[in-house]
Amino acid sequence: MKVLIASIMALFSSFAFSQSSAALVPKQAFSVFSINNVNLLQKISLDELVKYEFMEELQQELFDGSTSGKTLKDSGIDFDQKLNIFFGRDDAFEVAGFSFGIDNTTQLFEVFDDFQKSESNYSGVDFYVSYFNRIAVKGNTGVLFRVTPNMETVNAMTDSIWYARGNDWPWSELDETLEIIEGLGKPEEVGPDPEAIEFFDEMEIEENTSTPIENKELPVADEDPTEKTYYELLDSVELVLQEQYLKAVCDDLFQNGDNLLSNSPQFKEQIAHTSESVFFLDNSKTFRKTNDFSFVQSLYPGFYRSLEELYTGNVILGDLFINENSVNLKLNAQYGEELGSVYASMTDTKFDKNVFKYISEDNSAFFTYHVNLRQAYDQMYDIFHPLLEKEAEKSYSFSSRLMLMELLDELMNKDAIFGTYKGSMFGTYDGIQKVKTQKFVFDYDEETFEYTEKEVEAEEDMPIFTLGFSTERTEIPEIILRHAERTEESCRKEGEYWVFDKAILNAAPMYITVQNGLFIVTNNESLVKNHIDGYGSKSLDKSLMKKAKKSGFIYGHADLSKAIENVPRELFDDEENEMMDVIRGKSGRVEFSSSQTSNRETSFDLVYDFTDVQDDAGTYILDLINSLYVISK
Amino acid sequence: MTLRWFFILSLLISLTSCIEIIDDLSLNEDGSGTFKYNINLSSSKVKINSLLALDSLDGKRVPSLEEISEKFNNVVDLLRTKEGISEVTFSADYNNYIFKLKCDFSSLSALQNAIHEVIKSENGNKSLPELEETWLTFEEDKLVRSIPQITVQKAKEINTEDRALLKNGSYTSITRFYKEVDQCENDRCVVSKNRMAVMLRTDPYSLTQNPNLLDNAIYLVASN
Repeated sequence: MKVLIASIMALFSSFAFSQSSAALVPKQAFSVFSINNVNLLQKISLDELVKYEFMEELQQELFDGSTSGKTLKDSGIDFDQKLNIFFGRDDAFEVAGFSFGIDNTTQLFEVFDDFQKSESNYSGVDFYVSYFNRIAVKGNTGVLFRVTPNMETVNAMTDSIWYARGNDWPWSELDETLEIIEGLGKPEEVGPDPEAIEFFDEMEIEENTSTPIENKELPVADEDPTEKTYYELLDSVELVLQEQYLKAVCDDLFQNGDNLLSNSPQFKEQIAHTSESVFFLDNSKTFRKTNDFSFVQSLYPGFYRSLEELYTGNVILGDLFINENSVNLKLNAQYGEELGSVYASMTDTKFDKNVFKYISEDNSAFFTYHVNLRQAYDQMYDIFHPLLEKEAEKSYSFSSRLMLMELLDELMNKDAIFGTYKGSMFGTYDGIQKVKTQKFVFDYDEETFEYTEKEVEAEEDMPIFTLGFSTERTEIPEIILRHAERTEESCRKEGEYWVFDKAILNAAPMYITVQNGLFIVTNNESLVKNHIDGYGSKSLDKSLMKKAKKSGFIYGHADLSKAIENVPRELFDDEENEMMDVIRGKSGRVEFSSSQTSNRETSFDLVYDFTDVQDDAGTYILDLINSLYVISK
Repeated sequence: MTLRWFFILSLLISLTSCIEIIDDLSLNEDGSGTFKYNINLSSSKVKINSLLALDSLDGKRVPSLEEISEKFNNVVDLLRTKEGISEVTFSADYNNYIFKLKCDFSSLSALQNAIHEVIKSENGNKSLPELEETWLTFEEDKLVRSIPQITVQKAKEINTEDRALLKNGSYTSITRFYKEVDQCENDRCVVSKNRMAVMLRTDPYSLTQNPNLLDNAIYLVASN
C-alpha cells in the first residue's frame, strides 16, 4: 500500500513539476524568489514593477511605453502558476530572468511587444528575442531570460586570439602617446578630460549619454581593412560565447530536463511550500562562483576542494507568510556538519544579562547578539589545521601559513584576547535627539556694521546609538583609553567615562565607558551622565528581555513608528535607504529572532506586525523581495 | 548642461537647515572698492559631514571635499584673471564650513562683468539672459543695488521641502561708503550709527519668494 501511495505521489509531483514554471529555472541559478500567490500581484502596475532593483537585469530594453497604465493582470500571465525570479552565475556566464505561467499569449506579447519571434531548434518551444533578452514559451509556461558571458573569459579569449594572430600589445599606441606626453613634461595633462568628470550633473551612463566617449585611437591589427580591430574581435568573441552559453542553457532546460528543480533537492522541497512566497539562496554556489576565490582555485586546487566541501549544503531557504496584520519571514540556514560545528560552538554560550541594564524602555530599536568567540576559534583551528597540514606537504606557501598559524596559537594570549572581546554585544537606537555642537555666528558692530566671528554653542539633530561589548578583562580597554587621554587633545576622562570631543561627524562628542563587564560606546550623553550603572527600573520591558534570552544567538526588536520614521535619509546611502523605504511610513513592530544553532541548521524568524494597512499585500511582497535581493546580491 | 557652480551652492543650501550669507560691498570715491562674500554653514556641520560621507544622494553622486575644494579654487583662479579685479583671496574652513571670498575691483561694472564671465564660463560659455541685467549702479551719490536674478532663480530650483528649510537661514547685504548716507529707499534697511554703512537682512527663503526684497537705492549726503 505504501509503495502504491508513494508511486502515485511521485507520479503526481512529476506531472505537477513538468507543468510548472519552476521547471524553467536554470540549474545555474543560485538565488530564486518564487511568488506562489501571484494573485496578490494583480493590482501591481508594470511600471511600478520595473522600478524594483531585482528587475534591473532585465528592464533596460524590456519595458517601454507598451506597459504604460497596464497591470500584471493585463499581461497574459497565468496567476495560478508561480512567478520565479532568478539570478545565477557559472564559471563562464551569468543568467538572470523570471519564469511564469501563461494564460494568454496574445496579451503577453502586447506587453512584450519588442520581442520578435525567432527560430527554435527545440520541439514545442517558441522563442522570442529582443536585444539580449529572450522569452521561451513552452506550453503554458514561459521564461524571460538573459545570458551574459563572464567578461574575464571574453577578455582572456580575445587576448589569446589576438596574440595568436601575431598582433602586438593592443595598447602600445596608447603607451607611446603617454610617453610622448611625459617627455613633454606635462604629466598633468595625462588623465581624464576634466569635462568627463561631471560630478555636478547627473551621472552619465552608457544608456543615457548624448556624448559617448569615443576611442579615437583604436588599436588596429594591421593595415588590412578586412582585419578586425581589438574591439571588433572582443565583440565577436562575446557574441559567439553568448550564443554558445545560450544554447547550453536552452539544451538543459528544453532538451535534457536539467534544471534547478532536478538538480537541487532543497529547491524542489522549498518550491512545494504553499506560503505566499519562497526564497532560495545556494551559498555553496555563491562561494564557488565568486571571483574572490578564483585565484585559490587555480593556485591551490586541493585546498579549494577542501573549502568547497566545507560549504557543501550551505543554503538559505525562506518562506514569506502574509497575514491580515502581519508579515512573517521564516529563514532556514542549512550548512554542512563541519562548518555547522563551528557555528554551534560559537553560539553555545550563556546570555550576558548585563546588557539589559543599558537598554532603555524608551528605545526605538535594539538588538542582542551573543556568541563565544573562544569556542569558535578552537573549533575553527581544529577544522582548518588538518586542511593546511595536508597542503603543507605539497606547498612551501601553505607550510609557511601552517607555521604562522601554529606559532600564533602557541604565542598569543587567548585568555586575554577572548576575555577582552568575548563576542557578545548589544546595540540600541534611541531615536533622534538634540546634541550639543559648536557653531560660528557673525557678531555685528552697530557703529560700523563691521563683523567678527564668534563661536557659540549650538544644537543639532542626531541619531542616538549605543553599542556595548561583553568583556571580562575591563583593565585591557582601560589601558588604551588612558593612553588616549594622555595623548589625544580631544579625549578626557570625566568621572567614570571618557569623552572624545567632535568624534562623531567632526561635531558631536562620543562617550566610552567600561561598566558591569561591558565596554560601551555611545553618543547618548544622558546614558553616561545619568545612567552609568544602567537604567534600573527604566530599563527594557521584562517580556522583551525574556524573548531576547529565549532567542538563539541573535534577537532584534524595533518599533517602526519610532525607529525608521525619524531617521534622516542623509545618514544612509541609496541602497540602505532603499531597504528602509520598505517600512518607512508604516507603523508597527519588527521582531527578529533565531533558533538554537545545531550542527546542520539555524532558523530565523522575522515578524512584522503592522497596525494599519497602507499598501496592498503585493507591494509588501515585492518590497521584501527587493530587500532580500539587495542584501543577497 | 546645468550651472555647475550653482549645483554646489544648491547642494550646500538644500542640504543644510541653516545657512548664513553676507554680501559686503565697500565703495570708494573713485568707484573702486572691495567685495566680500561669506557663506557660513557651521550650524549644519553634522548634516554636511554625514552627507559628505555618502556616495550618492537622490541618484546624484556626492562630491568629495577635495573635489569641492578644487572646484572652489578653480572659480577663484578664474576670477583672478578678470579685468579690473585684484587682491582676490579665498578662505575655506572645512571643519566648520565657513567660506570667505574677497576681492578688490576697479569699478562696479568691472565687478559685474567679472562675476558675469565667471558664471558664463561655468555654464559652458553659454550666456544667461539673467546675467545681462545690471544689478549695481552708482551715479551722482546714488547707489542702486539688487540681487542678481540668477541666484534667486537657481535657489528656486531646490525642491519645496528643502527650500522651506531656508527660512532658518539669513542673508545680509551690507554696503559701505566713503562718506555718510543720507537716506535709502528700502524700508527694511538700517543705517549704521556712523552713517557710513547700510544693512539689509532677510532670510534666503523670503528672497526666493520675492527677489526684490533686497533692492535698494541709497543716497549719500551731497558733496559741498
